[in-house]
Amino acid sequence: MRYVLIAVMFLLSLILPGTLFHFWSWSGIKPDLLMLLTIYIAMHHRLPSGLIWGLGAGFLEDLYLGRYIGMYTLTLAVVASLSYWLAERWYRENFLITTFTVFLVTAVGQILVAFLSLGAGLHWSLSDIGRLVIGVSLYNAILVPLTYPWIHQSFVRGWLRYRPRYER
Amino acid sequence: MGKRVNVTGIAVLVFFLLLGVLITIRYTGLGSNFFNPVGGVMQRILSPLEQPILRIGNVIRDNTRAVWDFREVSRQNEELLKKVDQLTGDNIKLKTEILAGMRYSVLDQGQFRSPTLEKYEKIGASVVNRNPTTWFRTITLNRGRQDGVATNDPVIGDLGLVGKIVSVTPTTSEVLLILDGEGQVSALVRGSTGNSTFGIVQGNYKRGSRLTSEGNLQMLFRREDSINVGDLVLTSGLGGVYPKDVPIGQVKEIRLDPSGLLKTAYIQPLVNFDSIEEVYIIKIVGEK
Repeated sequence: MRYVLIAVMFLLSLILPGTLFHFWSWSGIKPDLLMLLTIYIAMHHRLPSGLIWGLGAGFLEDLYLGRYIGMYTLTLAVVASLSYWLAERWYRENFLITTFTVFLVTAVGQILVAFLSLGAGLHWSLSDIGRLVIGVSLYNAILVPLTYPWIHQSFVRGWLRYRPRYER
Repeated sequence: MGKRVNVTGIAVLVFFLLLGVLITIRYTGLGSNFFNPVGGVMQRILSPLEQPILRIGNVIRDNTRAVWDFREVSRQNEELLKKVDQLTGDNIKLKTEILAGMRYSVLDQGQFRSPTLEKYEKIGASVVNRNPTTWFRTITLNRGRQDGVATNDPVIGDLGLVGKIVSVTPTTSEVLLILDGEGQVSALVRGSTGNSTFGIVQGNYKRGSRLTSEGNLQMLFRREDSINVGDLVLTSGLGGVYPKDVPIGQVKEIRLDPSGLLKTAYIQPLVNFDSIEEVYIIKIVGEK
């Protein structure tokens, strides 16, 4: 059930930003739902497992987008590692801290996307990169109070429960 | 005793990993057309789910626009009422002068017809998704390789140019919008005197309006070029991707470069990219 749920959430994270969030976009900025989901998963898993989820999610997104293969694979792997590292040090039950964590990790992830885009030869001005990074990070952070309580409950004692992390 | 960490080894590994990813990214960029069966299957499975969501969203937005943007709609309504009288009087003149200048005629359905496009086969397509990331301006259409669509086929809307196909799966295709800075278009500005000035239209990154729906196209000219606000911008047909004389937009603003040698024209696209739902794919490449 856990894997089916995560698969459904992955697919929704791919579909919704281009459809539903097109209508809720703010000056063209949409949330990065797959990055948000990867952060949540990594915060509730051990490092190797979180890293594999990050790599898998990133590779899935790269194949879905059909270009710049490796961009999101690498980005979401870094995002997963950073999320795990922060979750080990900061109090995960506190939603305010989690909101800040999501903002921070999303910003790092988006900066990495921008860096890899520049490396791939795309043309971005620094001001636009700044606006996009802050915009997407803010949007993801705003979604935390709406989504995290449910996801966290589910990871701790619901259908998404990950035993190796909570039974040690 | 703690484990020894080989820092040099990790640094080398990270370096080669990063290098590998950068090379892969470079070779699988826009229009690279690499073999991606998994992506194709995902698009095929997900596009039937995406289309209804997008359609429902469009219906809700269209029916509630007056509620959310009441002040804006009210202002627009007042402006439109004032313009009706003026436009009614100018209607015949506009049809003969401007439309003749643009070399296309407005049909009953409000769709333009260019003599250059007549010779190509066109396929109607619906928008089923938009790019899920904020970084690219692309839309996904419900027509693919099975319908004869090929990479680099131009895409037009009811009023003008939309973009070009950058990737194709058997059942879907992805369009890079002209708003995206990677989708540059060879264009010409046709002034009221009939003179044409050539240039490149590109997505506007530098004015801060990259993220808004207004004025997202720009074109660079020499100072002495005769360009005026209100001039029409059309495809030039050069470059081999887009056919000639497809309308792109209208010059909204002209600004001199600080050096005084160049000037930038900001162009308002004719197509409303935020609400675009149906387009035509022109089978130029697919027919070859």
